[in-house]
Amino acid sequence: MFRQKSALAKSTALILVAVIVIAAVAAVGIFTIGLPGAQQTPQLSEVRVGLVEPLSGAYAVFGNEAKQAAELIAEEINAAGGIKNLGGAKIRLFIEDSKSSADGARLAAEKLVNVDRVNVIIGAFISAHTLTMLDVTEPKKIVVMADALVDYLTARGFKYIVRLPPKASVHGATAVDFAVGVFQKNNQKIQRPVIVHFDGLFGEVTADGIYTRLRDLGIRPVDRIKYPTDITDMAPIIERIKAANPDIVFAVPYYADSIILAKAVKSLGLKVQFIAGAGGTGLADPETIKAAGDATELMTNTYSYDPFLPTEYNKQLVQKFQSRYGKLPTEAAGIIFYTLWTLKEALEVAGKTNPNNPLDGDSLMAALMSLDLQSGPAAETYPAGRIRLAPNGDNIYAQAVVLQVQNGKPVLVYPFEKATNSVIFPRP
Amino acid sequence: MFSADLFTSFIQYVVLGLMLGGVYALAAMGLALLFGVANLINFAHGEYIMLAMYMTYVVSLGFIQDPVLSPIVTVPVFFLIGVLTYLGVFKRLVTAPPLSQIAATVGILVLLRNLALTIWAAEPKAPPYTVFATSVSLGPLTIPLDKLVATVVSIAALLILYFFLERSRLGVAMRAAADDVEAVSLMGVDTNRLFLVTTGISMALVGLSGSLVMTFQAVTPTSGLLFGLLTWAIVALAGLGTVRGILVSAIIFGVADSLASGIWDPRGREIFLYGLFILILWVRPKGLFGRR
Repeated sequence: MFRQKSALAKSTALILVAVIVIAAVAAVGIFTIGLPGAQQTPQLSEVRVGLVEPLSGAYAVFGNEAKQAAELIAEEINAAGGIKNLGGAKIRLFIEDSKSSADGARLAAEKLVNVDRVNVIIGAFISAHTLTMLDVTEPKKIVVMADALVDYLTARGFKYIVRLPPKASVHGATAVDFAVGVFQKNNQKIQRPVIVHFDGLFGEVTADGIYTRLRDLGIRPVDRIKYPTDITDMAPIIERIKAANPDIVFAVPYYADSIILAKAVKSLGLKVQFIAGAGGTGLADPETIKAAGDATELMTNTYSYDPFLPTEYNKQLVQKFQSRYGKLPTEAAGIIFYTLWTLKEALEVAGKTNPNNPLDGDSLMAALMSLDLQSGPAAETYPAGRIRLAPNGDNIYAQAVVLQVQNGKPVLVYPFEKATNSVIFPRP
Repeated sequence: MFSADLFTSFIQYVVLGLMLGGVYALAAMGLALLFGVANLINFAHGEYIMLAMYMTYVVSLGFIQDPVLSPIVTVPVFFLIGVLTYLGVFKRLVTAPPLSQIAATVGILVLLRNLALTIWAAEPKAPPYTVFATSVSLGPLTIPLDKLVATVVSIAALLILYFFLERSRLGVAMRAAADDVEAVSLMGVDTNRLFLVTTGISMALVGLSGSLVMTFQAVTPTSGLLFGLLTWAIVALAGLGTVRGILVSAIIFGVADSLASGIWDPRGREIFLYGLFILILWVRPKGLFGRR
């Protein structure tokens, strides 16, 4: 009996000890991670953000706009108290010029990683340039937030890359979906499309996006014309388009070539029902309209950003950008708007979930992957209004918009349900 | 029926190419003149054309409205720029070794390109309107008026230059200097003044061609690169010598450009052009019309 009692007391004591130990461990655990206030918010003075853009050379037009946008957003984030979960850390930009070359981008990335010790890099607008940066950043686990669109960036198994804007082939497919919709609304079907595009990698991939979507719809292009970006004269190409007798022209212009194309269409009197551009820059850019005048009237183009997105924050931001820089923010600026704001959100998450090492590549990547933004500045500047990353780093909700030049101004005509103006069709 | 269509297309591309060639000829003439007469290698030639394009843009936007009228301003201003460039830089280069010429003119190239980037930023610029932005039909052919005007003005300017070089005393002195500077100098010609005027005329031609190109082109700070290479190739193909040579060589380039774009692949332009270029220079190393 005594023995039994003693055995009972022994086991009770054991259970008691176990309970006390478990409770103590749990208490310590809760104390360190669970209780608000008890947790240590990391106290960082700054987050070092590298920005690699083509500030000089052939693509300087895009790089400089991106730089302006980055400076504006960094200023806004800092003015509002920085990254709260990192103890109010400020965004500090380290801006490097890729000099519009792949080598330049790699050198810039090397400097940012090794000398400036940045925590994350945004860039480099041109996909081939971005690719060379990844050789530098991947081994060091530096996250790259790409503002370049060619599909392959997120398809090669890199671990530390995210890209928010719609990729090139999505731009191409969007142009087709839009055009098919427009023809349908007018009880017509696309039968004789011509694709004309510049021959750079981006032009090829975007045009492939157009081609593939057309093929999936059972439509065969009657001609596909590629031209060099530094083309001097579009007249022979316009004549060739005329000879193909198309009902729609899909164009992937890049830059100055959109002006030359629009002017040649006008001066040679190309009669075609519709001209739909794809690829984020081109026929409906404010600069193109300014330079080509009424030659761009009724042409459309797809973009990764819609400056007319009617959210409160976007309206206010566009106004601010315009009053500071004297121009409408377009593709290059828009991508930076939502990319930098998304980074801010990810930093807030990283500060909370991994307070000991929030700026580490893995921690930042995990934070980015955990985001599902449906409100706030990033979502309010994104065409689809939602940002959530797929495992490869692309936004699941990536969407391109279509702007049409109406009365000398670009207006939103697609997605149809969000359009501020209805499409004018056909061209006179 | 199909072959008739093809033939019409072919003629159409040739006509467009002829017009383009006329414009190219004027762009290359300034370079050929300076090289021929003063023996000066101007690597910044394309950049001067770029500057003329920007000036056309500014003038058209500012007070003339139509780029076709802008030569009223660009031609005299560029003559003046030529005179200033000569007095400031070229004067010292005429007797300098080729390496100094390259260094100095490449310096100007870099300076002008970055100046353009600073002033006009990198956005492509173009005057939005010209009354000639339309075309006329000539049977089955389409003739764009903007390019027709550019070609006619260009050919007229080359004719004037031709007669100037053939008939006027100064022109004769220029041609003589192209053959033998020392002999000309011994004949009592002030070569300094001769080169000054040559640079002025060369730049005036650049001013005019920049204006004409802007009726269908757009300008960026890197436009000089394109026109630099193109004009050099035209001059090399023609060989140093005659106005006619430049015109023919430029037309070959224009037609090749147009045919490649229209019938084959616009990207084949370069292969076609520079293949032809190598072939001709292989057969005639002095160029088609070269005298030296």
